[in-house]
Amino acid sequence: MPDQKADGRRFETGHNHAEAEKLLFDEAQHLDDKEWGAWAELYEADAEYWVPSWLDEYELVTDPDTQVSYIYHTSRAQLQERIGRIQSRKSITALPLPRTLHMISNVVLTDIDDRNIDARSCWTTHVFDPRTRRQHLHFGTYRHRLILSDGRYRIARKKIIIMNDCIPTVVDFYSI
Amino acid sequence: MNVHTPLDGLIDDRPSDKAFHVSRSAFTDPDIFDLEMKHIFEATWSFVGLETQIPRPHDYITTFIGRQPVLLMRDGEGNIGCFLNTCRHRATMVCPFKRGRQKFHVCRYHGWAYDSAGRNISVTDKDDGQYPADFDNADRNLFPVARLESYRGLIFASLSADVPSLSDYLGDARAFIDLVADQSPVGQLEFVPGDITYTFDANWKLQFENGLDYYHFNSTHSSYVDILAQRTKSGDATGFTSERADEVEGQGSFNFSNGHAVNWSIKRQMRYGRALASDPDGLAEVKARVGDTRLKWMLRQRNLTIFPNLQIIDISSAQLRTWRPLSADKTEMTSHCLAPVGESPAARRFRIRAYEDFFNPSGLATSDDNVMYEFCQTGYAAQAGDTLGHLRGLDPGIGLPGDHVSELGISPVDYAFGKPGFGGETNFHSGYREWRRLLQHATGEAADA
Repeated sequence: MPDQKADGRRFETGHNHAEAEKLLFDEAQHLDDKEWGAWAELYEADAEYWVPSWLDEYELVTDPDTQVSYIYHTSRAQLQERIGRIQSRKSITALPLPRTLHMISNVVLTDIDDRNIDARSCWTTHVFDPRTRRQHLHFGTYRHRLILSDGRYRIARKKIIIMNDCIPTVVDFYSI
Repeated sequence: MNVHTPLDGLIDDRPSDKAFHVSRSAFTDPDIFDLEMKHIFEATWSFVGLETQIPRPHDYITTFIGRQPVLLMRDGEGNIGCFLNTCRHRATMVCPFKRGRQKFHVCRYHGWAYDSAGRNISVTDKDDGQYPADFDNADRNLFPVARLESYRGLIFASLSADVPSLSDYLGDARAFIDLVADQSPVGQLEFVPGDITYTFDANWKLQFENGLDYYHFNSTHSSYVDILAQRTKSGDATGFTSERADEVEGQGSFNFSNGHAVNWSIKRQMRYGRALASDPDGLAEVKARVGDTRLKWMLRQRNLTIFPNLQIIDISSAQLRTWRPLSADKTEMTSHCLAPVGESPAARRFRIRAYEDFFNPSGLATSDDNVMYEFCQTGYAAQAGDTLGHLRGLDPGIGLPGDHVSELGISPVDYAFGKPGFGGETNFHSGYREWRRLLQHATGEAADA
């Protein structure tokens, strides 16, 4: 393990782990606060956003080109398409929008090189639907690939694993 | 004797008066739900899987027919069997896994074992068991379903023997299964790997109707329609096809016997590309093999319902979905990306992306449908009069131009055709008439008993 200063900065690579970790929390907060423009800006223009499905009880799909995913996007523009659908107030899934609360913990950061950090974390999202008065809990793990560009971290890749994959009615970017 | 049953008045079907109404209670009444499970789902043909899901000896999958767990497996000789997934000893579910491959299934409770043909091959410590003398003569094999047959690799099972052959049951709906299967150079269909299961808090018949409903598309899916329009502007026309200038644009449907129906549309310009058309070489191969007319129908949007639990939607991608009703107001859906075996990697990638785009609880269209079913379920609880939801198309309107029926070589029991905004609802009637027939058949027997 490399030595670590109190402010989270590592000697070898210069990565600021406290800042990298904060990006994960910022992302969660943007989603819960419905600041979706700011949320999308956390992503690189060619970011990969992947929510794989499960092959069976134990294995996730591993290849989006030959296996089915819940969501597989390869650009920020595709995330913005989803945002636009919700903001148009035409999608019935958003009338009314549920309240969500993302919790992230067990964050483990691994430096990849001078520019890239991998982050593995655990997430839960509590979803309350004011229409039905029902609440759901989605949970799983995140794998972020963060990239340092122009002095700040952005998301180059995110993989969202949903552990409880019998989905109640609808699942979208804001609820996972 | 005229027996009053809970079914009286559920379907108000008077063709001569051009009336068709479905009672609100058919969607909400738990007693009706119990009758549906017993006398429809557990008494007629149900889709249970694809042969390509269990290609090798000893492969298996588990699923349900109505409320009842079943184990579908291939034995050592390659024959497919379907058995109730319950141990003969103390009813334990014998196989708790979704899928796998094993020669023997051993009940974890007391160790009774079965082979992949469903035969009991071991009763633990039988000789020490002080069993009655005739125990050795008792049938200890897994209970087989009453009927099991396949069509084009689609496996159907029935828990009742009192059903026609699968071929007769499917009737001319087979032509629309063929239009999907024949997109494969080897005539086979497979599921793209990846399990998708979701629930909605509404009656299963909302899904049954929606799969045959074009009327809802522009309103329910208006946000998706906007996205499609934006994408078209951006210029990606991969897989786009068009109809010949002499084809009359419109929407049509065929009703078949035993509750099946299909709706389809003829559009001069599609709103999205098609996996089949995304690969020019693959398209040319299919065209050479099936000819212009059948290719034309392959490239038309077609929503096929095989009563009571199967829909195949062939649009930008292909989806095969089944439902398992859990209660009058809760339904579990299983959705698969359906694909022709042997298509090119590029076409497969297009198919998967298009499938994820539209379908699934995370897709841009299906998610809206799921929420809409719940709006309907809440609304059906209103103690109000009949809905007006099954009437579009009862007037003959512009009728059926062209040679749609003869092109396909089918004899539907009914058809409808209208303008592009038609969205006929008479294609639901076939399923409701079969629904009523099965329930009345069963309650009639009960009344005689």
